[in-house]
Amino acid sequence: MSDAPNPDDTSRERFRMIVLPHLDAAYRLSRWLTRDASKAQDLTQDAVLRALRYFHAFHGEQARAWLLRIVRNTWLDGRRTERTTETLDAAEQVAADTPDPEQGAIAGDRRQIVARALSSLPQPLREILVLREIEDLSYKQIAEVLDMPIGTVMSRLARAREKLAETLVASLGRSEHGLRDL
Amino acid sequence: MDCATCERLAGAYVDGELSAGEVAAVEDALPGCPRCVQLVEQARHLRGLLRELPVETAPPLLRARIAREVRRLPSASPWQWPRLAALAASLVLAIGTGWLTASSFIANDREQQELMAAYVRIGASDHPVDVASSDRHAVKPWFAGRIDYAPPVHDLTGEGFPLEGARIDVVDGRKVALLVYRHNQHRIALVTWPARDTSPVSVASSQRDGFAMASWRHAGFELRATSDLAPSELARFALAIERAMDADR
Repeated sequence: MSDAPNPDDTSRERFRMIVLPHLDAAYRLSRWLTRDASKAQDLTQDAVLRALRYFHAFHGEQARAWLLRIVRNTWLDGRRTERTTETLDAAEQVAADTPDPEQGAIAGDRRQIVARALSSLPQPLREILVLREIEDLSYKQIAEVLDMPIGTVMSRLARAREKLAETLVASLGRSEHGLRDL
Repeated sequence: MDCATCERLAGAYVDGELSAGEVAAVEDALPGCPRCVQLVEQARHLRGLLRELPVETAPPLLRARIAREVRRLPSASPWQWPRLAALAASLVLAIGTGWLTASSFIANDREQQELMAAYVRIGASDHPVDVASSDRHAVKPWFAGRIDYAPPVHDLTGEGFPLEGARIDVVDGRKVALLVYRHNQHRIALVTWPARDTSPVSVASSQRDGFAMASWRHAGFELRATSDLAPSELARFALAIERAMDADR
């Protein structure tokens, strides 16, 4: 460790107050990107530490969108070489490892089906649905995280919804079933 | 409003992203457009389903680990830019001086700072490597004509350290080969150059500003590895490099 006086305690404190409250959101996005609980932890940690290193470049934008963007970039950097094997196991895990005694078996099944369908979507469609529906980001914030124009956010979201609806209907098995049956 | 417009706006309508005027226009148009009504209902229904999913939170251990790292890790701002400036200055001074003149083996302070700056540049750049390949037969020839020696290049995917690519960097005024390896989500920068003294020196590890560094001499090369890995992992990497170099001889 450097024994020089650290001039950075203030910015570290700011980081703790401004960025760390969004750790859960960072972890959730990591979870949906990697579809693996332990990889999600690695990704979250790497991304948060990367965010700290580049915190001097943060100029008071929306901290959550800023952090989520770093999560995504860190993941993309990692994926360029390490092609993750994509299985549906992770999706099943998402639904399976969160017991909720208040919900009946029917709701549990439904959530498992929805989690699996979302997890099976191609990454560009999956991530935009997560940002919109689970993280509740505005189009403007999504545009920041994904680094794309708002028009593209709109059209990609429409595509993602269409695809998710198709996947869900297909998972119900019989063609006379519709989304309403879920 | 024509149906194509209304269809295009249906999602944004559900998302509350339209202006008051657009909302009124969509609501006027909906009764005459079954397809758009369906889109609006579908978007609402999907939202209901997605919001039913369990809301996950970061595991407590991860939270604790990150809080600890945040206390320990220095952010880049206090040292990165001055070092880069120093590096640029040393580059100017070094033109024409050629080989490294470091007489002692242990990486000196400035060298360590430059190696760290090189490591940070990999993380900061949109193009961390100039040649992206895990194929040594693609990476090794890439150096030809770019530096005045042929660096050792090995892919260590089998040992858990896949080769990501390579670039040229400058350390102590000399253009050097920098290989980028990966271990899980961590990167390792390996800088090599021909040793003046060819007697081997075993791996010396050190830690600095949250980075692990290893320096050693093997098979006629000076080797310096920098990473945000744990020092023990970096030492494992160093040994894997040595073995790969030995296998070549």
